[in-house]
Amino acid sequence: MTGLTTAPRPRLDIPPRYRPAGIATGAVVAIALILVHWYAAVQTNTSPKELLEGWRGLWNFLFGVDRTYPNGKTIHQDGAFPLDLRWSETIRPGLEYCLLTIWIGLLGTTLSIPAALFFAVISSRTTNRFVPLWFLGRGVMSVLRAVPETVYALMFIAAVGFGAFPGVIALAIHNVAVMGKLWSEAMDEVDQGPVEALRVAGASPVQSAAHAVLPAVMPSLLGLLLYRFDTNVRSSVILGTVGAGGIGFFIKTEVDSFHFDTMMTYVCMVIVLIIVIDLFSAWLRKKVGTV
Amino acid sequence: MRADHLSSGAMLRVDGLRKAFGEKTVLDGLSFEVASGEVVSLLGANGSGKSTSLRCVVGLERPDGGTITVDGVSARPGETTGARSSGELARPLAPSEGVTARSAEAVPTVAMVFQKIHLVPRRSVLDNVCAGALGRLSLSRSWSVLAFPREVQAEAMACLDRVGLADRAREKAGRLSGGQQQRVAVARALCQRAQVLLADEPVSALDPAASEQVMNLLRSLADDDGLAVAAVLHQPDLARRFSDRILGLAGGRLVFDSSSEVTDQAVADLYRPALEALEAAEAAEAAVAGSTAPKESTDSATKEFA
Ligand SMILES: Nc1ncnc2c1ncn2[C@@H]1O[C@H](COP(=O)(O)OP(=O)(O)OP(=O)(O)O)[C@@H](O)[C@H]1O
Ligand SMILES: [Mg+2]
Repeated sequence: MTGLTTAPRPRLDIPPRYRPAGIATGAVVAIALILVHWYAAVQTNTSPKELLEGWRGLWNFLFGVDRTYPNGKTIHQDGAFPLDLRWSETIRPGLEYCLLTIWIGLLGTTLSIPAALFFAVISSRTTNRFVPLWFLGRGVMSVLRAVPETVYALMFIAAVGFGAFPGVIALAIHNVAVMGKLWSEAMDEVDQGPVEALRVAGASPVQSAAHAVLPAVMPSLLGLLLYRFDTNVRSSVILGTVGAGGIGFFIKTEVDSFHFDTMMTYVCMVIVLIIVIDLFSAWLRKKVGTV
Repeated sequence: MRADHLSSGAMLRVDGLRKAFGEKTVLDGLSFEVASGEVVSLLGANGSGKSTSLRCVVGLERPDGGTITVDGVSARPGETTGARSSGELARPLAPSEGVTARSAEAVPTVAMVFQKIHLVPRRSVLDNVCAGALGRLSLSRSWSVLAFPREVQAEAMACLDRVGLADRAREKAGRLSGGQQQRVAVARALCQRAQVLLADEPVSALDPAASEQVMNLLRSLADDDGLAVAAVLHQPDLARRFSDRILGLAGGRLVFDSSSEVTDQAVADLYRPALEALEAAEAAEAAVAGSTAPKESTDSATKEFA
């Protein structure tokens, strides 16, 4: 019985966790990172001194300042606080602008669904085995994605003028590329088994996409769609600031006319809006069965 | 057991099949035949090429050489044998046959069931079976389950009835037990109107009772419906009880082809090279570990993977 516990085991050296070459590489990478950040700080005037000076400006912006002009007159410039809480002049229109922002985000997401699905299907290895088309799909999406929504919005505003419509189109185009990529990645990860089983039954690529891939990925696609709706509502706030309608547009107008208190009221409404949309989308995603 | 169904020629004929993945030869001139009404089992150690040979037959892999003939029609390498692609085949017709042309619907097809079953779990049992008919449906009649024609659904119901699951048609496939799902997969193969049914370890994930049921089903498909059935099995006793012939594979080649009364020794020999190879590999590994740095061996391993 004792023989079991006293069997001699050979003593082995413990292999070192770090090797000298690894340590040297780590040091070089760390120094390079520090240098790059130092250079970036110089280029962008980021320094403690700037931060202090900016601080005073921020204080004035938040709480107002008395400006004395050369002619001896002193004018009080209102700050962002206290908030502008007038119902019919500020809050009610603000709520309407928020709704408009949601509608822009919603349409921008929904209108992109057919094209996003098309690009997702031709850009996934599971659904498209014809390599040139696969490359074409990936390429078009990369190009579309490389242009930010704001730039699309500026282009469409130049074409059709200020308003919510150019915002919708800008979001939709950008979202085709982003959602198409997310969807195609979801399709790439699908279990190949049923796809092969249907290929054996003589199904064409389109048929196996419809009967094996899509049923399997539908919850993921829906989850990603809700996630994109959430992000697109945020983006539509930003699009507003360049003139594409919604609450963002009025934040920009108020700040341009130095109505910081009204502007800050709108900013607070945006915060509530984003949180509500975020919670709603998370709740719905859970209902759908994807997190 | 099978004489009444046997026609003059084999339903499936595989001749000199060769397949290599990179440097590694997996099939090395494999030849075998399966007749209508016959159940043939394939036995062999892990990695002996059983799955690869079946996948070559159904067109999921493109063989490097050799011929595959289904009911006298030679299959195009790397193309699935569903009704659509075989409809275009130039079929060498023997003058004695008295048949001039065959409609695409009547071309024999090869179906396959898998160890992991590969149904779409979220779809209903009936929709999964209907999917077997996709090869003969145009896109306008198959773009969605809603578009499946009534006659296809009726045929699928008949296939489900054949495997004893007609009462579960509207349930989600994922809800069924493993054995029932495998029978649904067989029904899908029937809905494909297959005359050759290949089964890759159809019962490896099933309990003994469910295995028995599935094997009985395969047997009866051969006996009563005249299908040619080839099944990869890892259970020699199931192979003996349910098949007419047992093929032994080793190193991508046929090492025996015998009636079910194959000797225990022959079966044991089948798995011996794998054991020996395993021991040899372990010895080699120990030698490598002793002489070179461990990093290089992982490098070569990743290269092999890539
Ligand atoms: N797609 C592939 N790429 C590279 N190698 C492959 C591929 N498919 C199979 N192989 C290799 O071919 C060999 C035979 O595989 P195969 O799956 O046919 O064996 P098998 O007889 O079915 O074994 P098992 O009993 O484990 O299922 C294995 O060594 C495997 O690693
Ligand atoms: Mg296998």
